[in-house]
Amino acid sequence: MWSLLKLAFRNVFRFKRRTFIALSAISIGLALLVLSISLLDGIDQQSISNIINCQTSHVKIFHKGYFDRKDKFPMDLTINRSEEVHELIHDISDIEATENRILFGASLIKGVDELPCLGVAVETEKDPDLFNIKESILEGEWLQPGEAKVLIGKDLAKDIGLKVGDLITVRMITSSDEEDFSWNAMDLEVKGIFESGNPTVDNMRIIIPLGIAQEGLSLETDVTEIVVRLNSSDDRVIKRVMDGIRERLKSKNLNLEVYSWKDLAGDFLMISQMKSKGTGMIIFILLFIASMGIINTMLMAVLERTREIGMMAALGMKKGEIMKLFIFEGGFIGVFGSLMGCLLGGLGSWYLEVEGWSMSFLTKTANMERMMQSVYPVKDIYFADLTFGTLLMTFVFGTLIAVFASMYPARKAAKMNPIQALRHI
Amino acid sequence: MSIIRVENVSKIYKTNNISFPALNDISFSVEAGEFLSIAGPSGSGKTTILNIVGCLDVPTRGEVFLDEKQISAKKSTELANIRRHNIGFVFQTFNLIPILTAFENVEFPLILKGDMSHRERQSLVEEILTEVGLKDYLNRRPSEMSGGQQQRVAVARALVKNPQLILADEPTANLDSKTGKEILELMLQLNQKTNSTFIFSTHDKMVMDFARRLIKLKDGKIESDEKRR
Repeated sequence: MWSLLKLAFRNVFRFKRRTFIALSAISIGLALLVLSISLLDGIDQQSISNIINCQTSHVKIFHKGYFDRKDKFPMDLTINRSEEVHELIHDISDIEATENRILFGASLIKGVDELPCLGVAVETEKDPDLFNIKESILEGEWLQPGEAKVLIGKDLAKDIGLKVGDLITVRMITSSDEEDFSWNAMDLEVKGIFESGNPTVDNMRIIIPLGIAQEGLSLETDVTEIVVRLNSSDDRVIKRVMDGIRERLKSKNLNLEVYSWKDLAGDFLMISQMKSKGTGMIIFILLFIASMGIINTMLMAVLERTREIGMMAALGMKKGEIMKLFIFEGGFIGVFGSLMGCLLGGLGSWYLEVEGWSMSFLTKTANMERMMQSVYPVKDIYFADLTFGTLLMTFVFGTLIAVFASMYPARKAAKMNPIQALRHI
Repeated sequence: MSIIRVENVSKIYKTNNISFPALNDISFSVEAGEFLSIAGPSGSGKTTILNIVGCLDVPTRGEVFLDEKQISAKKSTELANIRRHNIGFVFQTFNLIPILTAFENVEFPLILKGDMSHRERQSLVEEILTEVGLKDYLNRRPSEMSGGQQQRVAVARALVKNPQLILADEPTANLDSKTGKEILELMLQLNQKTNSTFIFSTHDKMVMDFARRLIKLKDGKIESDEKRR
């Protein structure tokens, strides 16, 4: 076995140019694979982090039936015993913080201009423990409880032309039912402009203190959701906490439902799954090209070494040994190609992990930018996320593909009739 | 005791339903230590006999015995095993492995045989390469040697495992007459020293003159079988 490996190893470098071409095909293919996987993984991680830190946190509690109609912001399905819920769940392990919030449909009116937006009313003292909006304020300051002031996303402020200190009329929709559409308007001072890095938030959201929203929406002490932040984003932890919350809510007969960030970010996850299928396609195409390179290289080797194969058979080498010899050769090409591919792809991914990849060239037009941002809640620069698992999977995959690709040429070599092979010119 | 016994062997090749008889009811036997040449014009059946005796092919009819064991009806794996242990080959075109040195080429059949340590192989290979006059060429690759030197390596490769039988198909055909003569002298000298049995095919008169026994073939039949010297 060792001698066959040694001979196979030397044969790999026998036709240097051809081996180089096969190695290039594999290594470039695998480097692109590592780059695509780590970039898509990185974008996923950024998106998930942006969703959890700016939009949903880990878990939300709604009034029963609210989730199915959440896009209409139904103000008749609010939670009116929120303090009892906080008391009930606060000692569940892994819960870091909880907060009452109200989400409401709104629009900003400035002169004759009106822009629709999403209103978020927060407990100003607790919110920074759950979300990163406070730390992403570009101009102005964070809100104080009960003040009639508003924070606005950078892109939204730019669209309507607002700056810190301006007064703006906020139309708060109290009922979005077609038959019973109603709203209330309030004049609020812009206290700050934030840029969270999540385009959905920066383009669409305004943030006001909870008390102001309760007054404007006539909700008294009701809220539309209780947000729960955990100390881990691990699916198992989230599930365990959700089960604990459900159990406690049930014990008090509270008519509430519990949802995870994944339930709330269904669109993103659907796109992410579609993307996984796309990645599978890329993998298939790249590996198909690489395996064609190996098959071609190995078939040429079999053809050129026909007489040598005949000689080895004449000396008593068995079919299985001849087959192994060629499979080992393909395997070595696979190992070297995979190593090179992992090295190149790893270096590229490492660069993109540190420096990021600016998509500005793709997003020069507003439509393209919106389209990209509708797929991923990430702005401007995408960062790769290179893992050892990606490198290991790519290496194993590349090597196995090379081994499988060399099976046909190896079989062809092993099946040769030694007499005819020896006569080959 | 005969080392090879060929009994009423015929070989018919079939291509597109057309039959080509290569050997026609041939019988002969070879004693251990013989230096035998099978001669005849192209198409007379020399190579076919060597292939059958060398376990590379099987007869259509008749029986072949190597060391009194029938080999004509064995499976390809069994034939490969016989070749691995009992038969050495010398080819017209040398057929050395280009990426291996002279030493490694000669070591190759011993590795296939698999019953020796690295140290034993090393000493045996060095000894046989010294025997064929290539002591100083151990680490040369075939491309760094002349045709004559390459054929010496091939002879050493055939002999190194101490086989019962060495078959050489036109071993001097790719060499100039002087080098060809040197190779034949070497083979004869090794035959006398080791008592190995050599069978080689040729159509060259000079090569026939070296043989101690000459079987002449014509149209797949034995035309003459004569002992010489």
